[in-house]
Amino acid sequence: MATTTSPPPPQPQPQSSSPSSPSSPSFPFPREYFFPAFFTRQTNITIHHAQLTKWSALILAYARHHRLFRITISAAAESDLFFNRGIDRRLSPPDIREVLDFMRKDGRAEFLRPDGAADASSSSASAAAAAGGDVVFLYWRKPEEWAALVEAFVEETAQKGSVLTVYELTEGENTRGTDMAEFHGMDNQVLMKALNILVKRGKAQIFGSEESLGVKFF
Amino acid sequence: MFLKHIDLTTALRPSYLPDEVLLFVQDNVGLYEGKFKLPNQQNGQVYLTSHRICYVDKDEPRKYSAALNLKEVDRYEFYAGFLKSSAKITIVPKPLKRSTLHNRVVSNTGVNSRGSTPSPAPSDNAYTPPSGPPSITAATWVCTICSFSNPVPSNFDPTTANAHTPLPPCLACGIKPTLSQVLKAAISTASNRPAATSNASQSGISSQENSSTIAPQSSDLLTFDTRISSGQGKPDTGVSFHCPRCTFSNHPSLLSCEMCGAPLLSQNIPSSISSSEYIRTQSPGPVKDSNSKTSQGGTDFAESVKISFRGGGEKIFYERLKSAMTQRKWLLQDAPPAPKSNRAMDDSSASGSPSTPVQRTKTAGIAGLEQLGLNMRKNNEILIGSAFEDLEALMASAKEVVALAERFAQQVNGASGDVTSKDNSILAESAHQLGLITTKDIVGGGSSESLYFSELARNLAEFLTDDSRGVLKRAGGILTLVELWAMFNRARGGVELVSPMDFEKAAQMWEGLKLPVRLRKFRSGVMVVQARDRTDDATIKSILAWLQDLHEFPPDRDVAWDWREFGRGVTAQEAAERFGWSLGVAEEELLMAEEHGALCREEGLEGLKFWKNYIGSTDPALLQKREAQEQADALIQRLKETGLIG
Repeated sequence: MATTTSPPPPQPQPQSSSPSSPSSPSFPFPREYFFPAFFTRQTNITIHHAQLTKWSALILAYARHHRLFRITISAAAESDLFFNRGIDRRLSPPDIREVLDFMRKDGRAEFLRPDGAADASSSSASAAAAAGGDVVFLYWRKPEEWAALVEAFVEETAQKGSVLTVYELTEGENTRGTDMAEFHGMDNQVLMKALNILVKRGKAQIFGSEESLGVKFF
Repeated sequence: MFLKHIDLTTALRPSYLPDEVLLFVQDNVGLYEGKFKLPNQQNGQVYLTSHRICYVDKDEPRKYSAALNLKEVDRYEFYAGFLKSSAKITIVPKPLKRSTLHNRVVSNTGVNSRGSTPSPAPSDNAYTPPSGPPSITAATWVCTICSFSNPVPSNFDPTTANAHTPLPPCLACGIKPTLSQVLKAAISTASNRPAATSNASQSGISSQENSSTIAPQSSDLLTFDTRISSGQGKPDTGVSFHCPRCTFSNHPSLLSCEMCGAPLLSQNIPSSISSSEYIRTQSPGPVKDSNSKTSQGGTDFAESVKISFRGGGEKIFYERLKSAMTQRKWLLQDAPPAPKSNRAMDDSSASGSPSTPVQRTKTAGIAGLEQLGLNMRKNNEILIGSAFEDLEALMASAKEVVALAERFAQQVNGASGDVTSKDNSILAESAHQLGLITTKDIVGGGSSESLYFSELARNLAEFLTDDSRGVLKRAGGILTLVELWAMFNRARGGVELVSPMDFEKAAQMWEGLKLPVRLRKFRSGVMVVQARDRTDDATIKSILAWLQDLHEFPPDRDVAWDWREFGRGVTAQEAAERFGWSLGVAEEELLMAEEHGALCREEGLEGLKFWKNYIGSTDPALLQKREAQEQADALIQRLKETGLIG
């Protein structure tokens, strides 16, 4: 029916939204966001699937817009992502969890383990995720995509063979403002997942202690 | 034609005349005209009513159904069936007009002379009044090849026979005779009977007819009876049985002559069995084809009609037919009202009320009105009293009593005058109309219960689709089975109630019987009744149209969302009010629409509401395709990026 107004897909896009303005207030919510029945879990399987798909797209678009890398479910339930105050409709926490679980199966989200140690690969996390902590990583870019971005940045800036600290990557002046470094201000744990992928590919090496990690790119 | 085409109701049952009462139904019957099967009327149901016998074809009910009026029936015969030949009831029509007398006689001759009955059983004679005397012709033709003497076919009519008339081959050698041979045999047999000829000439029938017909004179019968008894010796008491053709003395238990093979008919066996013998020899009956019909088409004689009961039930049919013929309900239609018993007449004469109309005209003023009322009450009293006197009288005056009861009911309603009684009165009225109810008693027992169910199903369909009652229409075109059951049993007025199990079984037969209503089962197991043309799609369409309307009209109170874009959610209650459904039905219909993906739900403080589906649906196959597409896109994108960079 009204599938025309689905939010932009979470694929890489021309970086129009500047990373320097993480709190731009006017996120263009899709049409469904103003549809009261969108906030009720549908029982019809096909509609329910469409509902999950649309919610997942909405969450990812919202997270991309606000550069959210992780959300806390209990807190997010009160945010305007899941609570449309305009029409006084909200998605209940169990339904939020269901949407996030749907996203997890799609590789677009990952539950943080209750002990705080996020798993490196999203595949092994799937088993643990169902029980679910309160914190969820939102992969509006998958770790593989982040890894590609980091690699591209290193190539671009000719820093192959040199050593960069993780802090430098996320907070350093080099990455600020450049078009390439979308990972500026990125969540540490997500970045580590991306870097670990590069390590596995033999493109980088991580060393150093917990607090001051360094990365060498090859 | 004796058989007339009839109108059927929506439920494919004969539509009854006023006052017509259904007496019996039997399925799996076929029709014969004369001795020929009617090709299109070989499988159907026969309805015996107080006025008619209706045949409703199973395959092409609208096309081939036919009926004959009982008042045109002269007499009827019963044939019990023998071996593979099923039981039959032959119905012989009355003469149509004077001008067609000749033809009728011919046809009667044809019917009755079938099998060349040499001696009509006494019972037969007593049974059939002079209007249709059984013929005694036993015409035979001698085969030129094997010199076997064959009977002339009973339907062979010398006056109308021509080169195209089908002739049966010789029974012994199978060689077909020439037409002239058979014609000669038939004519010679007919002319060899002095009594018939003389009588015919006396009665002034033309000489052409003399050659082929026997005049229907009661005096004939007597002559024949005496002739037969004298000619054949004493068949009643005799140890041997004389063949009417070769006079060979046969053993009494033999049915055909030992010497010449002529059929023997002893007088001490019932006519039904004797007739079974000759019919059996001719079975399987030939099918009447259109050619022979047209060849005889010039003469519009009324042929006798046979009903063949292949599924049993012939005995009850015969009994009911007999009583219907005795009762002659069709006469009642213009009969004078108030059939009073003798006692009532005595009473009324004693009180001097027979002169009521005279008195009524005389008296005037309040006294006159009072007198009028008094007389009317007295009349009613007498009527009711006489009606309940015995059952026969009740049956006879049923019409009056019903009218009276209706008047009372209307008076009661008028007095109380409240609106809720409207339904009741309608139901009461329709209960009367439901005089044509199907009961297990009416239906033939031949094919166990299925016939009862199918009749009940038709009955229900009629009840539902009857425009004057509009049961289905008032319920918004849809009704739960339980509601219908309650309504139907209430309409039956507390007698002959249908059990829920039977009811459900009958409802399930609608589909197979091609009736205009259908039974639908919702996912929750609720069963509803609705018109055949109301499909899910149609319902969804009407719901969506309604929801679309809500985009145009602002909601009652302010709503937070953009109602121009989304309309508003509706509850089952609102849908019930909008479409005239019952609440349960409305809920089921909305759920059905949701299941089809047309609606989606919203659970909130105000309960479950249904919205037009703006969430959209994703076809799983489409979804997979899109996913694959997305993956491919991502891959291309990445390849581009990497290619661009490194």
